[in-house]
Amino acid sequence: MKFTTMIKPILAGAVFLPSTLVHAASCCGGGSSSTLILPKASHVMVDASFDIEQYDGFWNREGNHTDDPPGSDLSQYRLNLGYAHRLASRWQTSVVIPYTWNDNQYGGLNTQTNGLGDTKINLWYETFDDVTCIWKIKKLADLKPAAYLGATLTLPTGVSSFDDVDSNFDITGRGFYRLDGNMLLEKTIYPLSTSLLLSYGKYFERSVNREYGKYVEPYKTNLGDRLLATLSFGYTQFLDSMDTMTYTIAFSHLQEEKAEVNGRTDPTSGFEKRSIALTTAYSTMDRNWVFKGTWNHAIDKDGWGENFPTTNVLTLGVSYVLR
Amino acid sequence: MYYVKKCLPACLLLILFSTTGCQGITDDITPSDSDERPTVESGSTGSQPTQLAPNFTAVDTLNNNHTLTDELALADGVVLYFTMWCPICDSHMAHIRSQLIPEFPNVRFLVIDYVTDSVTSSRAAQLANGYASFTVLSDSNQALHDTFNGGMGITVIIDSSGTVQLNEYYKDGRKLRATLEALP
Repeated sequence: MKFTTMIKPILAGAVFLPSTLVHAASCCGGGSSSTLILPKASHVMVDASFDIEQYDGFWNREGNHTDDPPGSDLSQYRLNLGYAHRLASRWQTSVVIPYTWNDNQYGGLNTQTNGLGDTKINLWYETFDDVTCIWKIKKLADLKPAAYLGATLTLPTGVSSFDDVDSNFDITGRGFYRLDGNMLLEKTIYPLSTSLLLSYGKYFERSVNREYGKYVEPYKTNLGDRLLATLSFGYTQFLDSMDTMTYTIAFSHLQEEKAEVNGRTDPTSGFEKRSIALTTAYSTMDRNWVFKGTWNHAIDKDGWGENFPTTNVLTLGVSYVLR
Repeated sequence: MYYVKKCLPACLLLILFSTTGCQGITDDITPSDSDERPTVESGSTGSQPTQLAPNFTAVDTLNNNHTLTDELALADGVVLYFTMWCPICDSHMAHIRSQLIPEFPNVRFLVIDYVTDSVTSSRAAQLANGYASFTVLSDSNQALHDTFNGGMGITVIIDSSGTVQLNEYYKDGRKLRATLEALP
């Protein structure tokens, strides 16, 4: 009996939900576990974060929440290593590579698998030259937000359902290339800040000749377009040492349209998820070091998602900026 | 500091790929479209299409025994669907319930729970997921899983002569429907 290859409820971790931007990006640098943003006048940022994702049932296609079977304890852990580099005064790039551990107890059975996740390569263009974080509104132009336009390429470096696996317990990635167009608007009027991240992604069609380790008649398939919107509000507290504590609350909506198999819609696919995230970040006075913790909570009630696992994610991370 | 900035990306990538060994990466980076299904001898006993399905007896979540030959004697065919009560499985089973069962009343649909460790737990999962009307076989020792090379969403069609007509992942259900329509 192949206990090591039992099934994961579904690839929530493989979808790789981004956590909240932790800071006013133009001032202090920001980012999440899937993208990084360098502050102005900085050249390099290194980031490491660790996600602890706990499964808590799922929403079915009607949006009704269903608990996992009794005795289930399904977890995924991800170590995300990120590197951001300034290319020019308005251009920056970054790469984030996750490594994933699956640890599942299901019906009294224990399984553990691990592997590389899907890699993300980001390119951002800043539409401004000076930081837009201000202390007081002196003129209308002071209200202008920092706007970033970007693109993210997802590389299928993880282990997907199309690889030599038996089930979703084994997978660490989706198995598709994807290109996202991103727009980030953020404004800080100390001590308050707000940001809006919009991201729209298209997957690239691929061939499949194997599903869950079993060779099948080859076919073409593609996942549906993906939309992510995150709205956040933050408060920054300056400590006596001029170090800062930033507290952020964010609401995210993620949805993916139905997939296609040989050009025809797969009626069993597609999903939605809405979640709330709370973030606390500590930054040193020189803003070179940022320590952050995020609690991303999905509401385990009807109507907060469709066809997707309900999970809670705790993310602990640290960033270091080289000026 | 200059060298740190220049060398850091390469060092990070080198450490990561050296620790992970790049296992399983290339399959998705460069997907293959070649047909690599194993060839089987038609009429031999096995779980692949054109083979004769091995007979089995399994208990359902109401503690009734089901034998393949008995099921086939009363139907045009038998569909085995392997579930682990996940969102994907739920989506497939909802599709079976709403689209296929009404259309193929003479086909026996049997759901196989191969991950729950007891009949009682399997029944609880069945009810919790809203599939009380289904016949769910408790495969707690994974005997059917191993016999039919099952797994999450794997769907097997056996015609009335005992020949396997389909054994693959559910996907969108179209191939399942087409195969059922072509049953003798």
